[in-house]
Amino acid sequence: MGKVVGIDLGTTNSLVAYVRDGAPVVIRDGSGDALVPSVVSLGEEGTIYVGREAQRRLLTSPGRTVYSVKRFMGRGIEDVRDEAALLPFKVGGDVGGVVRIGLGEREFTPPEISAFVLRELKRRAEDHFRDQGEFDFEVDRAVVTVPAYFNDAQRTATRDAGRIAGLEVLRIISEPTAASLAYGLDTRDRGTIAVYDLGGGTFDISILRVEDGVFQALATNGDTHLGGDDIDRLLVELMLRESGATANGETIQAIRKAVIQAKWDLSEHESTEILVDPLPAYRRRITRGEFEQLIRPLVDRTLGPVKQALADAGLEPREVDEVVLVGGSTRIPLVRRLVEELFGRTPHSDLNPDEVVALGAAVQADILISGRREMLLLDVTPLSLGIETIGGVVSKIIMRNSTIPATGREMYTTSVDNQTAVDIHVVQGERELVADCRSLAHFKLRGIPPMPAGLPRIEVRFQIDANGILGVAARELRTAIEQAIEVKPSYGLTDQEVERMLMESFEHAQADFDARLLIETRNEAETVINATEKSLRRPDFEALTSGELKAGEVDRIHAALSDLKQVMGSTDRDLIHAKTEALNHATKHLAEVVMNRSVREALAGKNVDDV
Amino acid sequence: MTPDSIPVQPVSTLECRSCGAGAPVDEHFCPQCSRILALGRHGDYFSFIGLPRKLTIMPADLERRFRDLSRKFHPDYFYNASPAERIASLERSSYLNDAYRALRSMPTRIEHLLAIEGMPSVTSDESAKVPSGLLEEVFALNEELDEIRESRESGADSNALTARLQSAREPIDAKRAAHEQQLEALASRWDAQVESASPDERRATLEALRERLLERNYINNLLTTIEREVASSGSGNQESGIRRG
Repeated sequence: MGKVVGIDLGTTNSLVAYVRDGAPVVIRDGSGDALVPSVVSLGEEGTIYVGREAQRRLLTSPGRTVYSVKRFMGRGIEDVRDEAALLPFKVGGDVGGVVRIGLGEREFTPPEISAFVLRELKRRAEDHFRDQGEFDFEVDRAVVTVPAYFNDAQRTATRDAGRIAGLEVLRIISEPTAASLAYGLDTRDRGTIAVYDLGGGTFDISILRVEDGVFQALATNGDTHLGGDDIDRLLVELMLRESGATANGETIQAIRKAVIQAKWDLSEHESTEILVDPLPAYRRRITRGEFEQLIRPLVDRTLGPVKQALADAGLEPREVDEVVLVGGSTRIPLVRRLVEELFGRTPHSDLNPDEVVALGAAVQADILISGRREMLLLDVTPLSLGIETIGGVVSKIIMRNSTIPATGREMYTTSVDNQTAVDIHVVQGERELVADCRSLAHFKLRGIPPMPAGLPRIEVRFQIDANGILGVAARELRTAIEQAIEVKPSYGLTDQEVERMLMESFEHAQADFDARLLIETRNEAETVINATEKSLRRPDFEALTSGELKAGEVDRIHAALSDLKQVMGSTDRDLIHAKTEALNHATKHLAEVVMNRSVREALAGKNVDDV
Repeated sequence: MTPDSIPVQPVSTLECRSCGAGAPVDEHFCPQCSRILALGRHGDYFSFIGLPRKLTIMPADLERRFRDLSRKFHPDYFYNASPAERIASLERSSYLNDAYRALRSMPTRIEHLLAIEGMPSVTSDESAKVPSGLLEEVFALNEELDEIRESRESGADSNALTARLQSAREPIDAKRAAHEQQLEALASRWDAQVESASPDERRATLEALRERLLERNYINNLLTTIEREVASSGSGNQESGIRRG
């Protein structure tokens, strides 16, 4: 048996963690980076790039590079047509079927794209275990997290992605509950927790009660299309309007990179500069006030689900004992302020909001394989499950916020004599009409013994398992014959398709060692570039450096920076390495100055006991 | 949600699929090999969770039993077990969750009791008929709703309409509060009768419970209708539409 890990498969970034000596740790690469950007790019020669390297290719090959694919998991083209318009890659597929993403000359389904990211995480974890001197370093099983508000089709698509990547998905757990597990390790024994999770693409709110180590979700709600991506899109639109630039793939990616950097800066500073480089050369100052005004309507959209979840749990905001923030977008001061106002208490953010979900997934993975019983996670199904009845009306069988696993039953009979098959349409959602709910699957019940109409009594059992995924079984009660059920998922892959994709992934897997090394060299180079640019952009840069830096030092840094940027696209690993070293050398003194300054600031006003 | 359609199986013992030994139906684990038993019998949430067939349940006690049994059955703890045990764990966990959900609130608890005592189930058709005790209120409310709809169409102030709707629901709210009390009183009567009373007396209590439950469902539907009217009366307050009583 191989190793078991916990994976946070995020909209923007993904990461992998495991439990070592009883405590969860995230796995980092050589330069200490835990995040693998959830970006996949198809090279002109057919190589698949994942992570940082794929992210770089967003600027050079936007039409062959896909990001935020999580937003397309388990969805149909008719759901995503609007947002696909602003994306540089092709989004297609037949109406009523699974979305297909076109990269260059090839086409992929969202689970296949996600599988590339999962395979990269698997490889990263295996490298780590090998470096640790483990004999058995293969990673073959994982707990994978999904937004709490993911429906059955989205969860199934995530499980399929795992299978295509060669991972047995032991369990799908929801991100907020995973985060609460990570927090629960050393916090209070009992109480009510609200987890507010605003990530790159999705928003979740979960209310949990913790007692005797049992983490019981009481209610969950959310929006699977609300997150940092939407904030970025607002900023991109603003920049396009103001600069008058034409919206082609390259331009959008250049602007997107600049506005994301500005968004990050604004979490620390009152104002910053949006610097679009190289084309269209455009710069603009933006204050935190302007930014907050722009994004306020988006952040306000999270409040409706929060109130609904509290109402479903039968709680007032003040009755919540702890509030936990998860997801990169909760670094935005406005988000923190609104959450604090709503609950009347300071939210927890002691754990890194980017890492806490993966840590929780690792804890759950450890529970599953070790059989340890100190902790238990009891999750709920986020949406009601129903079946279509006469007139397109939904009859609900399992209500939302039911603890899973859960079952529901429904009796069927026939409407004509000697009818031997019955169609069942299963939907998920809170609305009363089938048309307003999510179609999950059509089941065909076959092999009903021929009888006069209305005489057969067919009991159909719906089972939502601990992953939040639906299973269906049926039995004719008069004859006790189990019925065969044929499933046609509305927005998913059949088992045969998943099998085929798994086989194809083996054929296409090019574990080209040189390509891998080149990618790592570029990753290193980019880390140094980013750190340098961050220092140069500091608002206090002038004050900081005057008198501290030698004449010409700043010019030398700019020269080394531009040298390195010029060779980034090259395939000559040694050249990139040399230029990286040169930039490292040129910025060594600057880094010391910045570091000293930060230490002084951190110590200022504190007495020795606090340190 | 009521398990009315489930045939009560005349099984008094379970067979352990792991070792073949027999076990009493109320056991969760095999007395011989201590493995988890397949869920053989359905229909009685009370005994499954270890409670007498009474309607008064201490919430803290129910929660504790639910947590304790979850720790015994949950599929998380059966990953390395045999397929038979894994299925049994899934069945028992699901059944436990269903039981917990049904026993958590008084109305669903009563519904379940009616079902296992062999009373006809409370169908939606029956809930659509106006209960005789409510005729007067329903008549007045429907008139009021018609008037409100008319004045909305002729462009009346939406705040005033919302206020009217709110006052229209007051008698219904009062009825509901009275019903909750009657249900509680009947529940106490049932609990006192469980061990001692004659079958006829018990039957009478069950029938009274059933009637109150039908009325209660009807009242809730009325309140939902009013809330929908409030939501569409243009005050922009959509949230009240998704709240349920």
